[in-house]
Amino acid sequence: MNKLSTKDYIDGVLACDRRVLAKTITLIESSLKEHQDQAKKILDELLPHTGGSIRLGITGVPGVGKSTFVESLGVYLVNEKKKVAVLAVDPSSTRSGGSILGDKTRMEKLSVLKNAFIRPSPSSGTLGGVARKTRETMLVCEAAGFDVVLVETVGVGQSEVEVSEMVDFFMVLMLAGAGDELQGIKKGILEIADSIIINKSDGDNVENAKKARQEYEMALHFLQSPSKLWTSPVQTCSALNNSGIEDAWNTVISHSEKMKEVGEFSSKRTKQSLSWMWSMVEEGLKNRFNNNERVKKQLPGIAGKVENGMTAPTVAAEKLLSLMDKGYI
Amino acid sequence: MTEKPDVSKWKELAEKELRGKPLEDLTWKTPEGIDVKPLYTAEDIKDIPSADTLPGFNPYVRGPKATMYTGRPWTIRQYAGFSTAKESNAFYRKNLAAGQKGLSIAFDLATHRGYDSDHARVVGDVGKAGVAVDSVEDMKILFDQIPLDEMTVSMTMNGAVLPILAGYIVAAEEQGVSQDKLGGTIQNDILKEYLTRNTYIYPPTPSMRIVSDIIGYCSENMPKYNTVSISGYHIMEAGADSVLQTAFTLADGLEYVKAALSAGLDVDKFAPRLSFFFGIGMNFFMDIAMLRAARFLWAEIMSEFNPTNPKSSMLRTHCQTSGWSLTQQDPYNNIIRTTLECLSATLGGTQSLHTNSFDEAVGLPTEFSARIARNTQIVVQEESQICKVVDPLGGSYYIESLTNGIIEEVRKILNEIKDLGGMAKAIESGMPKMRIEESAAKRQARIDQGKDVIVGVNKYKLEDEDMLDVLEVSDAVRTEQVDRLKKIRAERDEKKVTETLEALTKCAEEGGNLLEACIPAMRARATVGEVSDAMEKVFGRYVATTQCISGVYAAEFSDSEVITSLRKRTEEFMEKEGRRPRILLTKMGQDGHDRGVKVIATAYADFGFDVDISPMFQTPEEAADMALENDVHVVGVSSLAAGHKTLVPQLIELLKEKGSDDIKVVAGGVIPPSDYDFLFEKGVTAVFGPGTVVTESANKVLNALEN
Repeated sequence: MNKLSTKDYIDGVLACDRRVLAKTITLIESSLKEHQDQAKKILDELLPHTGGSIRLGITGVPGVGKSTFVESLGVYLVNEKKKVAVLAVDPSSTRSGGSILGDKTRMEKLSVLKNAFIRPSPSSGTLGGVARKTRETMLVCEAAGFDVVLVETVGVGQSEVEVSEMVDFFMVLMLAGAGDELQGIKKGILEIADSIIINKSDGDNVENAKKARQEYEMALHFLQSPSKLWTSPVQTCSALNNSGIEDAWNTVISHSEKMKEVGEFSSKRTKQSLSWMWSMVEEGLKNRFNNNERVKKQLPGIAGKVENGMTAPTVAAEKLLSLMDKGYI
Repeated sequence: MTEKPDVSKWKELAEKELRGKPLEDLTWKTPEGIDVKPLYTAEDIKDIPSADTLPGFNPYVRGPKATMYTGRPWTIRQYAGFSTAKESNAFYRKNLAAGQKGLSIAFDLATHRGYDSDHARVVGDVGKAGVAVDSVEDMKILFDQIPLDEMTVSMTMNGAVLPILAGYIVAAEEQGVSQDKLGGTIQNDILKEYLTRNTYIYPPTPSMRIVSDIIGYCSENMPKYNTVSISGYHIMEAGADSVLQTAFTLADGLEYVKAALSAGLDVDKFAPRLSFFFGIGMNFFMDIAMLRAARFLWAEIMSEFNPTNPKSSMLRTHCQTSGWSLTQQDPYNNIIRTTLECLSATLGGTQSLHTNSFDEAVGLPTEFSARIARNTQIVVQEESQICKVVDPLGGSYYIESLTNGIIEEVRKILNEIKDLGGMAKAIESGMPKMRIEESAAKRQARIDQGKDVIVGVNKYKLEDEDMLDVLEVSDAVRTEQVDRLKKIRAERDEKKVTETLEALTKCAEEGGNLLEACIPAMRARATVGEVSDAMEKVFGRYVATTQCISGVYAAEFSDSEVITSLRKRTEEFMEKEGRRPRILLTKMGQDGHDRGVKVIATAYADFGFDVDISPMFQTPEEAADMALENDVHVVGVSSLAAGHKTLVPQLIELLKEKGSDDIKVVAGGVIPPSDYDFLFEKGVTAVFGPGTVVTESANKVLNALEN
């Protein structure tokens, strides 16, 4: 494939050319400044064509059957005549920087459907980086005409909050099995869930799933839900046997209808855009700080003094930040 | 007379010889987790219960038969099959005339997976890794002039086990041989397919029903027939060490016993017809001890079910020398390796044996290499005089200690599996597969560093390798099969086919013996694919979930310089290109051997690549789409079943068509060097044969990407 012009990228995405779509995502993910600059231009042009999809975040601990669930849901939606994009983030190794992107092996049926597009991405770099990339990729998929964008995350740590802040609906997958598990979950995750799905409700696990459902319902009772107008339901499903998938999706639909009714759907997106702006400001500041020549030069010395106890951390931070001032004001 | 020295005296002397180095330095920590000391004495075996037993008696450590090879030597049973039924039949008859004693049929991958030769997903597989069998007509040709009431036939079939066994029964029937006279073995070991070889069709639950239906049917109608061959071979070939092989195999066996019991069968009616199949590698004493330990443990496991027939607790096994231990480099060395493994299997007391051909790391065996392989066993059996004594190593301090060491280690894993709720549940949890892959990745890292020596690969390498002749199966086989299918479909009684297939679907849905329901359908000339489909309607087709381990390869690599320099290269690549080198590893066609892909995936991720893995059984079109959607730099195709000449060029063409010729393609696996030029001409960037050091391959891939 020859080098594409910015216009080629834009036209290709709008025509939903899968190769161009793939290449555009690569640009967004690139760490090279020239790629990022081009990506920004493309995104700017695509922006009027975005906003038309339902953005759905899905998380759950490893082993909960996330990929199988995403596959079942994806196949269901394609059968309902919807175009589905799946963005899956796999963790990069902190030691080697490499990653194993195995999501498609677990989404065999979905991955061969013409109305589905799955893009696994390595998480490499900072969490903030993933959030930016995922947001922008989501927009590109919307511009390409996808009706539903599913964002699947690893399910540990901070990334859930970030994902929940870029989607319309945030779904948390859980496993049935004892109360001690319940205690282990961060309260925070339940607070941002728009629905909780107890997966693997099949075989001899059906009763356990039902019990877990009651337990989660109790737990949610004491927590605040993401919106005042919405009580997050707890549902059971078996991605393996394809049961409960439709219910899970209907919940998403009724949520967005309700939110649209009262105008919360778009106000949430507006809020998300603003918070995105702020996180971009933060990331930008950090980048500028790190790339500032004076900072680069003086950082080792100042940090060394903090290490030796010769300078207080606050004083050092102040000093480093003031180096930036001189550069930009 | 001088005083007889004791062990403490020996220690003193040994330490003196070591010049101050501690004696413990000589202890070898085996991959199995067993510490092997430099010396064993009577002390070591005095408390071992398995050390003082007799052959023919429970717990059968020294052999299932009282006389073992002194009465009758092991059966020389060479596994073979390729191309069409007609060609395989000619090959079998030639081998039988040359001293082979039993048949062992290899089917092609299309047949294994229940596809007829004219199915779109099997274009590159027909007749390649085994013989293509689509219907009873093929089966009849396969056994033409081979009297099935005299010849024991072993069939390696697990996925499409029902139509194949039914086809064999009908072929015999039309030869005039009734079912009760049939002797031989059907592999019918589906559990290990989910672990390693991936030639399954249906999900585990209906597959287990098929296993117990076959056990049930045969225990009534085919009393001389072995209904399951519980196989560790593929588990070993996937990278398991001897303890893992033994543990997972015995646990699979236990699961079948439980399935048959819960189907209402009497333990003494079916257990004597369960047989085993172990793989024998280059760890000479370890694998002798492994077979002894396996017999002891099986007797122990079976005692739980209170059998009255001694045969129910008796582990009888077939063995095969390891294919993984064979090298493409300096391949005549493989004859020596196979000889050692042959000795290990027979000193361990196997009941029958397949010895590999020396060219199996390169391609399909030729008539010449097959003869050498067969003669390897014949020479050991008829010239070396090892058959004159039962269990000649019994009582050896080392062998008995090692046997006991394996027994103890295997018990630990068996208990772990028990805690998970049995082998079926353990497989669901992914535990066995992860263990095997971990063991495989560690082994690869040891080989790549030269810690495990392989002559010709990581030591004493040849400057120039000779090109070997390999057998090539032409794509015309597929045309021949497709024509015959057309003919059969035109000539048969269609109404009868539909009726019998509908009855089979109903049996799958509502219950009844599936083998019994398959026989009329095969008799009516329904095809293997049609019979499989009739059940798939009810059971569905199983899709594996792939888990992948990471960090294992690098962790085993103590010389981190190679790894560090690779990581530096991928880091530099990222600085230049804006992202890490991204590779898609894929397997196309019906070849389910995924050890290679898994090892490469974990190693490359450790080097700093982003590694995409495709689902199994891809068509070239699916692989091309995935490559361009994930926008990878390079596709790595793993091929172990001779499909490379069809499928790889197709992939390259498709990438070109889809405007993605910037994506490079490399290939690895069992690819004969004589095919390299063909592949290069078709646009393949690099080919990695067996024995390629993984770090070197990664450097070559990076070289290609930087150009």
